[in-house]
Amino acid sequence: MADKPKIRELLNESACAHSPAKKSACNAPTPGATTGGCAFEGAQITLFPYADAAHLVHGPLTCLGASWETRATKTSWRGRDLTQMGFTTATTNNDVIFGGEGKLAKAIDYIVARYAPRAVFVYATCVTALIGDDLDAVCKEAATRHGLPVVPVHAPGFVGSKNLGSRLGGEAVLRHLIGTLEPAETTPFDINLIGEYNVTGDMWQYSPLLEELGIRVLATLSGDGRVARIRTAHRAKLNVLVCAKSLVSLTRKLEERYGIPSISVSFYGRRDTSSGLRAIAGALGDAELTARTEALIEREEADLERRLAPYRELFRGKKAVLNTGGNKAWSIAAALQDLGIEVVATAVGKSTEADREKAREYLGPNRVLMTKPGQEQARIIDETGAHLLLAGGRSLYTALKKGIAFADVNQEKKKSYGGYRGLLNLAEDLKHALETPVFRNVARRAPWET
Amino acid sequence: MGDVNRRAVKPLQVNPVGLTQPMGATLAFLGVDRCMPLMHGAQGCTSFAKVYFTRHFCEPIAIQTTAVTDVTAILDGGDHNIVESVRNIAVKTAPALIALYTTGLTETKGDDIRGVAAKIDYPLVWVNTPDYEGGLESGWALAVGALIEQLTVPANAIDGHKVVLLPHVSLQPLEVEKLKTFIAAFGFEVLAIPDLSTSLDGHLGEKQSALSSGGITVEEIRTLADAGLVISFGASMLPCARILQAKNPAIRHHHFSHVHGLEATDALAALLLAESGFEQPTVDIIRWRKRLQDALLDCHFALGQTRILVAGEPDFLGGACQLLAEAGAKVTGAIATVDSPLLDGLPVDRVLVGDLEDAESLHDAYDLIVGSGHVEALAHRYHKGVVLRGFPDWETLGNQLRNDVLYEGGAYFLFEVANVAERMRRDG
Repeated sequence: MADKPKIRELLNESACAHSPAKKSACNAPTPGATTGGCAFEGAQITLFPYADAAHLVHGPLTCLGASWETRATKTSWRGRDLTQMGFTTATTNNDVIFGGEGKLAKAIDYIVARYAPRAVFVYATCVTALIGDDLDAVCKEAATRHGLPVVPVHAPGFVGSKNLGSRLGGEAVLRHLIGTLEPAETTPFDINLIGEYNVTGDMWQYSPLLEELGIRVLATLSGDGRVARIRTAHRAKLNVLVCAKSLVSLTRKLEERYGIPSISVSFYGRRDTSSGLRAIAGALGDAELTARTEALIEREEADLERRLAPYRELFRGKKAVLNTGGNKAWSIAAALQDLGIEVVATAVGKSTEADREKAREYLGPNRVLMTKPGQEQARIIDETGAHLLLAGGRSLYTALKKGIAFADVNQEKKKSYGGYRGLLNLAEDLKHALETPVFRNVARRAPWET
Repeated sequence: MGDVNRRAVKPLQVNPVGLTQPMGATLAFLGVDRCMPLMHGAQGCTSFAKVYFTRHFCEPIAIQTTAVTDVTAILDGGDHNIVESVRNIAVKTAPALIALYTTGLTETKGDDIRGVAAKIDYPLVWVNTPDYEGGLESGWALAVGALIEQLTVPANAIDGHKVVLLPHVSLQPLEVEKLKTFIAAFGFEVLAIPDLSTSLDGHLGEKQSALSSGGITVEEIRTLADAGLVISFGASMLPCARILQAKNPAIRHHHFSHVHGLEATDALAALLLAESGFEQPTVDIIRWRKRLQDALLDCHFALGQTRILVAGEPDFLGGACQLLAEAGAKVTGAIATVDSPLLDGLPVDRVLVGDLEDAESLHDAYDLIVGSGHVEALAHRYHKGVVLRGFPDWETLGNQLRNDVLYEGGAYFLFEVANVAERMRRDG
């Protein structure tokens, strides 16, 4: 088991901004008062977007049966999109008693023979971790047998939160894929996009701009990703961490091991997209590239402004309360501000220290960072005269009671809000939320109510 | 009756169509008023279930987790996590009932939840639902069995007008309501356990709730045993009827494999006429029977030339395949999530206990698929007509108001399938 990642080490990530301030791990769930996914889900989110690889979940049916086909991560891979397929050993009573290693080996063989994947990721789950199946040995033998990467992913759900699982997914890629292949060619402007999963095509909102600038995306972890590309990721000149602090351990290790510097960016909203592009060009350190980037930003911002013009009047003077979690606390706030909507409060109960800092930065000193939004948001709507509540489904009642517009930000999103163009999608959705007669109609009293 | 293949020959499932016991138990407990389902496992088991059902019903789903970690998995026999959970839930939401059920993780580590439950001073039912055994149907049935077993007070007397209805897991909220209304139309007082028709039917409530709102109340479950009659629907619910009868041997029991289509609805109506002494059902029931007859005539041409594959839970297959067969459709294949005695009687050429990879390899044998949202990609890939039924359906709005049962639902279902078949032929 020497090959397994050290969870304690991952929890004490030195590159985490809040690391010195916190004594305990980021993820100690409270029994009976916990929401959010597990480590397995985190690993799944991080690795499943490789559509040319098979993702085999070694565990009881729930882990995959309840989760496959849930994430709309887009791919341009021309082969069968294996991200949207479900493979599981579906552990039975018999496997629990006698061990599941034999079945696992056969399952890998089956997948390789039928679907010819470029790699197989094998995910441990609580049950198979507890019964002690030796994933490393099975994967190693299968890799030799088939001559292709078979990657064990040690992120059983009970080791922690989604965030930790995401780190463990990154760890698996670092140990088993990165540095195992040399790229056919390199350019001075090769970058890796880390933590961009291309959900609803978010990445494609800005990747054409990178291409236009002459910046080559060498590899991604893992939006529209390819196994062959991530194996060459050690030759990149820069790692770009996209809205994903969970993978900061990975970028730090890539810097230590291969000397690749990294930057952290977000592509939500106009300002963040522009500063993201600037940061990438700046880090690559080429004067011409920087000039090209400035010109492109100017063009794109002007174009966006033109397209947003029809919305400006509607959004003028509108105030919004934002109740979501994680980095959405500030990234959506920034996008709303870009549309000319004033964000009077945002929820930071589930955000990290760094996210809170950014939220404060975007909202300014006089706006509210809610730590108990369930209790605070109704009062804040009254006090500020907010017109719009962006939150999860449970908050719908608050909006109805206050007679204001509501948008569900936690719902699985169907279109991209990323990049410059994504802001137009957001504008259209918010225009709809503000104009729809439905909130007014639903709030009507029944004729038999007094 | 066709070929039934029950033996798993593959070392894995590819594109699984089945779900597991904790998922079924979750849904059952959501049919109890002001209940907090408490899944004993890692936080992910609960999170997946919550997101899954939230998306299917477009409703907030009440559920909590004991949040077992790798450390407590080794050091704790379940006591700490469960007691702590109950304490936190009692303070935060004060439910009428906490429903505790296990997962593969906590069964593998061998927690004695019965022992822990005995020490807890809060209204609680418990049930073992490992996810490496059984499936959605058995998890639901085990939960219902536990509710009756642990809450219902034994009785001797009988209220001849009271009927207990035991719906299987695949019946959507409105279908349960239609069954209740149908039985009530014969002069009975009807209680469904569980009752999703008043909890997950997608109604706008007064305020947000962290608990299930609607469903059978705990008090109603306590006093179930004076019912004169219990009617179970679906093979999976037979054990639950036995458990209720054990509370009062005077309760009489009738069982229906399903209530899809003319024949099955006729059988239910005949029973209710005999039990009630009514000479005729109500006017609208009589009218709907005539409409279903007409639907059968209108649809047989389109359906008679359509080869159909149905995938889903066995109790759903029993009903849907029978209804399609009544209209003369050729049901050439059925993919069952788990084994069931019901599979032997399906009017289907070929029955497999399997997954959607199996459905894919049979693609030459059908033109149209009836199944959950997971069959959409398959239908698209092979240019098949598709009618979505079962869990999960994340793309269709209004799942909670679907009704395929009795005379009325049967008519709508046949029209829908026939229309899909015709459109498919028109569009090539």
